[in-house]
Amino acid sequence: MTVITAATPAPPRTRKVASRHQWIGLLYVAPAVALVVVFFLIPLGMTAWMSLHNWPLMGEHSFIGLGNYVAILRDTRFWNALRFTAYYTVIVTIAIFVVAFPLALFVERPRPLTNLYRTMFFMPAVVGFASASLLWSWLLNVDSGLFSPAAYDLGLIDRKFNLLATFQPAFWSIIAMVVWKVAGFTMIILMAGLQSIPQDLQEAAVIDGAGPFARFRAITLPLMRRTLALALILSVAGSILAFDQFYIILRGGPRNQTLTAVYWIFNQSFVSFKLGYGAALSMVLLVILVALSLVQLWLLRKPEGLD
Amino acid sequence: MRNLIAKLALAAAVLGGGLGTAAAETANIWVRADGSNFMPRIVDAYNKAHTNQVKLDIIPNAEIIPKYGAAAAGGTAPDALSLDLIYTPSFAAAGQLEDITDWAKSLPYFASLSPAHVKTGTYKDHIYGLPFSADASVLIWNKKLFKQAGLDPEKGPANWAEIAADAEKVNALGGNIKGFYFSGNCGGCNIFTFTPLIWASGGDILSEDGSKATLDSPQLRGAIDLYRSMVKKDLVPAGAQTDTGANFFAAFAAGNIGISPSGAFAIGALNTQYPDIDYGVTFLPGKDSGWSSFAGGDNFVVTKGTTKLPVVKEFLDFAYSLEGQTILAKYGSLPVRGDIAKDALKDLDPRYQIAAEAMAKGKTPYSVVFNDLINSANGPWTQMINEVFFGDDVDGAIANAQETMQSIIDQAPQK
Repeated sequence: MTVITAATPAPPRTRKVASRHQWIGLLYVAPAVALVVVFFLIPLGMTAWMSLHNWPLMGEHSFIGLGNYVAILRDTRFWNALRFTAYYTVIVTIAIFVVAFPLALFVERPRPLTNLYRTMFFMPAVVGFASASLLWSWLLNVDSGLFSPAAYDLGLIDRKFNLLATFQPAFWSIIAMVVWKVAGFTMIILMAGLQSIPQDLQEAAVIDGAGPFARFRAITLPLMRRTLALALILSVAGSILAFDQFYIILRGGPRNQTLTAVYWIFNQSFVSFKLGYGAALSMVLLVILVALSLVQLWLLRKPEGLD
Repeated sequence: MRNLIAKLALAAAVLGGGLGTAAAETANIWVRADGSNFMPRIVDAYNKAHTNQVKLDIIPNAEIIPKYGAAAAGGTAPDALSLDLIYTPSFAAAGQLEDITDWAKSLPYFASLSPAHVKTGTYKDHIYGLPFSADASVLIWNKKLFKQAGLDPEKGPANWAEIAADAEKVNALGGNIKGFYFSGNCGGCNIFTFTPLIWASGGDILSEDGSKATLDSPQLRGAIDLYRSMVKKDLVPAGAQTDTGANFFAAFAAGNIGISPSGAFAIGALNTQYPDIDYGVTFLPGKDSGWSSFAGGDNFVVTKGTTKLPVVKEFLDFAYSLEGQTILAKYGSLPVRGDIAKDALKDLDPRYQIAAEAMAKGKTPYSVVFNDLINSANGPWTQMINEVFFGDDVDGAIANAQETMQSIIDQAPQK
């Protein structure tokens, strides 16, 4: 009984302290919350609201309920754009990892000139996508650029080849450009993951007689799950939202074969002036993106028994 | 709500103007990059001679429409802009423009303003746009290369066969020199320079009121064959296939292209920026004879509800004066006032006379969905021209474009 009476006054005090702590905590995160509300939640709400309207860029708008969403179902060019975006996402993500992983393994350990290599590989990542696209747009130009004229002047080809005129070379040129631009960034993320793996685990495995491949498969990969998840989500989300490079270098060409989902949204909103429809397309893309990210997080979740 | 605010602002401005002294006002005006040669000069001249001032922003060609739309939606649109004339119907239809019918008709020289501009500036019998700058499409040829190739440097091609033959002779000079150039992935460039070939032969791509797409014609087919044959014979630089308009002028200005369809703007631009190029100007010919031209350029339009209407009117009135028209002509636009065009052009390059004549008889398609049909880099026209000039399936490409264009026209909001 005494124990209880002695104990009862305590909880209110701790609760009071705790709640004051919570208020102070809230105060600390308030600027961040305000940013999220002003620059994410309100625009998101407005987009959802606009998607229920026939909302031209200029002039009066009118409420049409789910009309825009019904129209999306019949919009074959949007679904084609989405299919191309998916194809591009798969290819470019694989390409980025194929390049970035070896680079990360290469620059992870200290060796002569490591810092130089790291800087060199990372450098393209600090260039904006638009500027990088303009640069490559020139490099790829058939008359005044670098690749085709150089190959011609060196006698490798007997007629200048227009890399951007047909789908395959144009598509792979974009892939090359994106890998050049993004691989360095993915490399840094993967490198950080590699460095967080305790050295003694590797050493213990070596003593147990595990070869380099077995160590990579049984230690490196499992312990990098969360790093891989981060890199993968960044890469997939970035690729699904691809726009700049296709707009600046290819203008969606050759013959509209490289229209991505975001490009289509841009066209509907700012070329055809259908802002409401563009907003509805954006909502659809948002749902797809969130769903994909959840699936990836689930696939790469923390396995049982591992920290 | 926005309307209410605009009205309040207007009321406040009227009161302010009535009560206060005539303080100098500044109007904000936009122009697309095509006007970057003449517009700053005419604005400077206006600002020097008037207490009211104009502030000019130059916007890239491809960005000005979306940028203006976004600015209008956000309430930060300029007071007026010099707008590619073909957009006037759709902007007027959207209720974005100030009705200036009364003021326009009160101008003593209204009847002599460029008819093509006034036609596109009129929507449902009200005037929303008045001519500002004018540009007619013409054919230009490099006299130096013609001479080297053994052709008469003073005589430009007068029909399709001569275009192909002359281009082939120039191309035979070899090296970097090519016979012909066009921007093969640019819808806007080709409506400007390619359709006149069709018009001059009696065909058209849209019906008069813009309600029907009429791509399936022997004239279009013939003009396509002309371009295809030159591409096949390698008379056109490889970059043409992917040129979205960036090289529309620059390719000829580099001096190694024999013939190129272009616009009157090229005369001013070549004279001021590339004085070494010796070139001739002629009409865009029909298959066997005749000629035609796209009457292009900008309409001057006023944003609905602007408070700077008096400044805008004063500026436009200045642009229509002989001084204004002369500045325009000197720096790359044709005069838009027929009655003083001769005076404005009299001290200038005689080649302007050809362009002025082309302008006077030029043609402009009328459509409220022009951007979707023609200018959009991903629209049916742009896709078709690229396919028919460089692809394998000409008939399929034309049929596809015809169907897509007609469906865009049919789905356009009926207002």
